[in-house]
Amino acid sequence: MVFASTCIVVGLIWDISWHRTVGRDSFWTLAHVLEQVAAVIAGLSCGWLVLHTTFAGGAEERARSVRFWRFFRGPLGAWVCIWGTMMMITSAPFDNWWHNAYGLDVKIISPPHIVLAWGMMAIQIGAILMAVAAQNRSGAENQQLYRFMYAYAAGILITMLVTVIQDEASVGNHMHASKFYIITGWVIPLFLIGLARASRLKWPATTITAIYMMISLAMMWTLQLFEATPMLAPIYNPVTHMVPAPFPLLIIIPAVAVDLLMRRFGRGNDWKLAALLGLAWVGSMVAIHWFWGEFLLSPAARNFFFAADQWSYSDRLGPWRYQFWGLDTDAAGKWSMLSFLRGLGIAAVLSMIATRMSLLLGSGLARVKR
Amino acid sequence: MHGSAAARASRKLARAAGVAAALIVCSAHVGSPDAWYEGSAGPYHVVIQVETPGVVPGIANVFARVTGAGVQQVTVLANRFDALAAAPPPEAATPVEGDPGLYSAPLWIMSSGSNSVTVNVVGTLGAGKTVVPVVVVADRRLGMNPKLGAGLAGVGLFLLLGLVTIIGAAVREGVLPPGEQPDDRRRWKARTAMAGAAAAIALALLGGSRWWKSEDTRFTRNMYKPLTATAAIESTGNAKSLTLMISDSIWIMRHDTAWLRKNNKSRWTPLIPDHGKIMHAFMVREPDMLAFAHLHPATSDSVRFRSALPPLPPGRYRVYGDIVHESGFTQTVSTAVDVAQRSDGPVALTDPDDATFASPPAAGDKAILADGSVMTFQRVSSRFVEGRSASLRFAITDANGNPAAIEPYIGMPGHAVVARDDGSVFVHLHPSGTVSMASQMAFTMREPGDSIAGRLGKRMNQMDSSHFAVPPMPADAVVSFPYAFPKPGNYFVWVQVKRSGSVLTAAFPVKVDALTQ
Repeated sequence: MVFASTCIVVGLIWDISWHRTVGRDSFWTLAHVLEQVAAVIAGLSCGWLVLHTTFAGGAEERARSVRFWRFFRGPLGAWVCIWGTMMMITSAPFDNWWHNAYGLDVKIISPPHIVLAWGMMAIQIGAILMAVAAQNRSGAENQQLYRFMYAYAAGILITMLVTVIQDEASVGNHMHASKFYIITGWVIPLFLIGLARASRLKWPATTITAIYMMISLAMMWTLQLFEATPMLAPIYNPVTHMVPAPFPLLIIIPAVAVDLLMRRFGRGNDWKLAALLGLAWVGSMVAIHWFWGEFLLSPAARNFFFAADQWSYSDRLGPWRYQFWGLDTDAAGKWSMLSFLRGLGIAAVLSMIATRMSLLLGSGLARVKR
Repeated sequence: MHGSAAARASRKLARAAGVAAALIVCSAHVGSPDAWYEGSAGPYHVVIQVETPGVVPGIANVFARVTGAGVQQVTVLANRFDALAAAPPPEAATPVEGDPGLYSAPLWIMSSGSNSVTVNVVGTLGAGKTVVPVVVVADRRLGMNPKLGAGLAGVGLFLLLGLVTIIGAAVREGVLPPGEQPDDRRRWKARTAMAGAAAAIALALLGGSRWWKSEDTRFTRNMYKPLTATAAIESTGNAKSLTLMISDSIWIMRHDTAWLRKNNKSRWTPLIPDHGKIMHAFMVREPDMLAFAHLHPATSDSVRFRSALPPLPPGRYRVYGDIVHESGFTQTVSTAVDVAQRSDGPVALTDPDDATFASPPAAGDKAILADGSVMTFQRVSSRFVEGRSASLRFAITDANGNPAAIEPYIGMPGHAVVARDDGSVFVHLHPSGTVSMASQMAFTMREPGDSIAGRLGKRMNQMDSSHFAVPPMPADAVVSFPYAFPKPGNYFVWVQVKRSGSVLTAAFPVKVDALTQ
């Protein structure tokens, strides 16, 4: 399942890069095949697991399963994976109709893509549930293995989330607008905090985000090595190599803050903890990304290592490449500290709410044993 | 035409020849989105049809009928007018089974507006290419097929029930140590969680449906609509004139960058004349279509287009104005106007190529023209079917039945106008098809610096008139127009040729059957 989960996120990042570089695709591009194979592996293996547990499972297997419609039995994660595979399959005809009705998506976030993304994320959540159940059940000898497997599965999910929001929050140009902090303020903590709470590692949030960074960096550096040219018009930016996803967000630093605060206050009142974590998350995100955005727009970042200033073949290059986008402005259209701070206030409140929900989910996740 | 010149001459000469051909005609349309082109690709004769996708990005289907010996390969590629940095690799068109000489290829069109499809032919006679301008816009909204809708709703409901069940199972048993049975408290908690999840899913679905609706509204709002126009008949003394005004605020405010930005509108490129005429206007009387005029109004501001009103019987007229933008984008603005009474006495026409026709249509396939010569509709098939290639061929013979000598009319052997009786289809055709040759010229002449509005148009205006070659007139005096009627219904086809300095018009009613009949 962890393998399928990895295939999905690698396939997705590859596919987005393909759309930004080559453009022309089909059902059978390698990136698509990777995603489809992952969905099939997840669906079939979990389907087999459920059938085996229901009809031929030993007492122990049946004991660590949950019932579905009073008859079928299987691990909780398997059910979620099967559901995810079915969501992915359902999204295909819906997406096809959407393309015929409204044109091929120029955006990542469209209704059928959200159905697909939930399907993919369900497979990843299924993998997480299987890993966390194993972690929560296991004795001393396998503890470390399961703890890391769980953190890895969680890292994949975080990678997926950051990929889904990349249109609004990814490149340096986004990082001076409150929208960036609003989106990253709730989407990532909504999952990360709970995932961290259920982990038994010493630095759970740090480890999970480190895995996200490693996967993203590996993809970013690898994709750039491959020569590719656009195959669709109009070509305003004749790229020669695969255009990678931008440098990963530095969420590992707020994650360190989360780990430190969870150690100190993790067992107290969750409402207070949520307020504290929400504030700390948004505060540390601003403190880092405000300057990190400036660096990414500077010539020092325009290289293989940081991969900044790489745009799709269909982008008309212009001064916007080196400008901050969507800045918070006043009525006269000038940048306004007040409206930026107002945006950060919204980000902090949303982050606190997301964190509170995540802590609740995390408490449940920490007890999953089936 | 220009392709044969291109094969012989240097690149520069080929460009000039391309321009020469390009200045000859122009056309646009209402409700007839496919582009047709008939002409040369080097040594090969080609008839090209581009079925536009209807949504963007979408797939256009290109069909190329190639005549000439030893054709080895036909390739096609699409590009947008302003993408001069690079072009994608061409796609091989595959021969259509059972129809020798016909090649087809699907082409992705990623960006709306003025696009082109370049067709390359390679064979034993050498290589040749031609550029077909194609206007690609979102012009239709697809409804959900009931079967697909029901299937998706069914699967969706199953998935939602599945999700609620999984959440229930997770709360009921997921956190219990293996083997332990859930107690009543757990069961109750599970039911509460399921109810909560169902409510949350319902909320999410509501949000999703609003999102979908807003995307649909935005799509519908952004669908292509031609610039709005108004028309009026004005009297000065005894003289009457028709004024067609492009009243769309996007056009009137086109120079106001701040207004465009505020209203999130992109700027239309300026108009370019087509064979010296900034607009080709047509008047068709409603609903009988028994009166018709082809005019060439003049303008000083590209907003108001004025033409002397020729003698036309009274009635309500639909007015169409074909214009070409510097980007190569062609469009037909349309409106209606009432003509109160026929003008008395001779009318000083605005343009010597203006012509009217107000006689009954041909009763059969033969029409007697004003000078006594005869135009015969040479039907290849007994019926016309929507979407099928309709061979519109007309032979002009003198009183003795011999091919009549015809002269170029606005640089062409003939012109045809096709209109459906409800006004939902209108297109101006030439023997070279529906495509605008002015637009073809804009594609041929465009250079990197032409992103500045008006620069290309100025160069086109400065062209030496010696470049404006007139194609040879057909010796058999037969004019033909490549076309396919877009939908079933009752149409009129007006055909115009020139003899002895006079424009002669004939009208033919045409019934087009539905594809399924």
